[in-house]
Amino acid sequence: MKIRKFALLVSVVAVCLLLLTLQSRGYGASARDLLALVTTPVQSGVARAHRAAFAVWDTYFDWKNARAENRHLRDENQRLRVEALRVGETEDENRRLRRLLALQARLPLTTLSGEIIGRDWGGGIRSLTVNRGRGDRVPRLTAVISPDGLIGRIVDVRLGASIVQVLTDPASTVSAHLVRTRTPGIVEGDARGTLRFKYMARDAAGIEIGDVLVTSGQGELFPRGIPIGRVQAIDDRGPALFHYAALEPAVDFARIDEVLLVTGETRRDLAAYFATGG
Amino acid sequence: MRALLALTVFGGSVAQATLAPALGVGGVTPDLPLIVVVLLALRRGAEFGCVAGFGAGLLQDAAGGGLIGVQALTKAVIGFAVGAAGARLSVTQPLVQVPGLVLLTIAEGVVRFALLQIFRFPAAFGDVMLYVVLPQALYNGFLGAALVTALACLQSLRARES
Repeated sequence: MKIRKFALLVSVVAVCLLLLTLQSRGYGASARDLLALVTTPVQSGVARAHRAAFAVWDTYFDWKNARAENRHLRDENQRLRVEALRVGETEDENRRLRRLLALQARLPLTTLSGEIIGRDWGGGIRSLTVNRGRGDRVPRLTAVISPDGLIGRIVDVRLGASIVQVLTDPASTVSAHLVRTRTPGIVEGDARGTLRFKYMARDAAGIEIGDVLVTSGQGELFPRGIPIGRVQAIDDRGPALFHYAALEPAVDFARIDEVLLVTGETRRDLAAYFATGG
Repeated sequence: MRALLALTVFGGSVAQATLAPALGVGGVTPDLPLIVVVLLALRRGAEFGCVAGFGAGLLQDAAGGGLIGVQALTKAVIGFAVGAAGARLSVTQPLVQVPGLVLLTIAEGVVRFALLQIFRFPAAFGDVMLYVVLPQALYNGFLGAALVTALACLQSLRARES
């Protein structure tokens, strides 16, 4: 057994030495060609498989990197969007507050600023909740205004908040007049959430679409000259005693966030402090 | 089984010329056929190691474009020697595997260099040893140990399954 082993080793070594000797004397080319016949196709196959495997690996890495980058960019995009929204919201709030403060500063009245913290648009009642209440010594029926015009009046004062009856509430009535013609009348809310101006039939001739309405100051509840809205359509009721005009409110009640509460005396004409265009 | 082993030797040898450069670290490539021959010789004995070494080396010579027979001779001798001594070696420990493969690679390198010198291959011994044989020996040592460990894990897994 051992002899066989060593015989094999000796044979192998002899064959190798023979091959080397033949090559060193210039007879190795045929043997090399013969071996190349076997090895070259296999080498080509292995090289191709190797390239393919690396290509798959590279593709996988590219895909993985692209996926990670995509996720990262998506997160960043979302974060930036939120940031942009926040910045936009803050800018918007700043602009609104600046307008409100400017109004508060120029009005010759005692006012208290407030923030809308609740809205009730259902059940026929249209009201807002403002974060000023009994603690702020807010009296009932205080006029509530914004830089755009009249919002309504306080109808309920609670400990830390008050309820504002909005002009569009069906129970709301405000004495008003047209800026251009001085036609007097009453602005009423209705169940559909719109405003209408009720006036005497005898004054109907002078009213035009686009006319601006402001508070008349009668009853001393609201200061005179606060914008209420514009005439949008005229409802001519023929021989009826009262005619009506549909109004476009000066204030967007659904979007109002900050208000001023007129807590002092109200016997002033504020027409000069609002841009009515009328 | 024999066919699979032959394929392993054959594939390992040819892969050396194509795949080994991809496994290179700092320009040093492992001698995959040598590792394969050593592993086979340890498992199958001196005769198989000798034939496997001869086959692998021959193909490696042909694929690599050097003198045919140099690596066939060195690997056949290494395969025989390792196969003959395999029973007396405790090769399950990485502390044995790494230096073992390092020494075998150095021995193979020295023999190869001697043969090349005999057959008029011009190269300085110091350079060949420093820049080729020793780095390759170290690489072989660690790669071989990793392969032995991986094979042992596979075997234990298979044994547990059966």
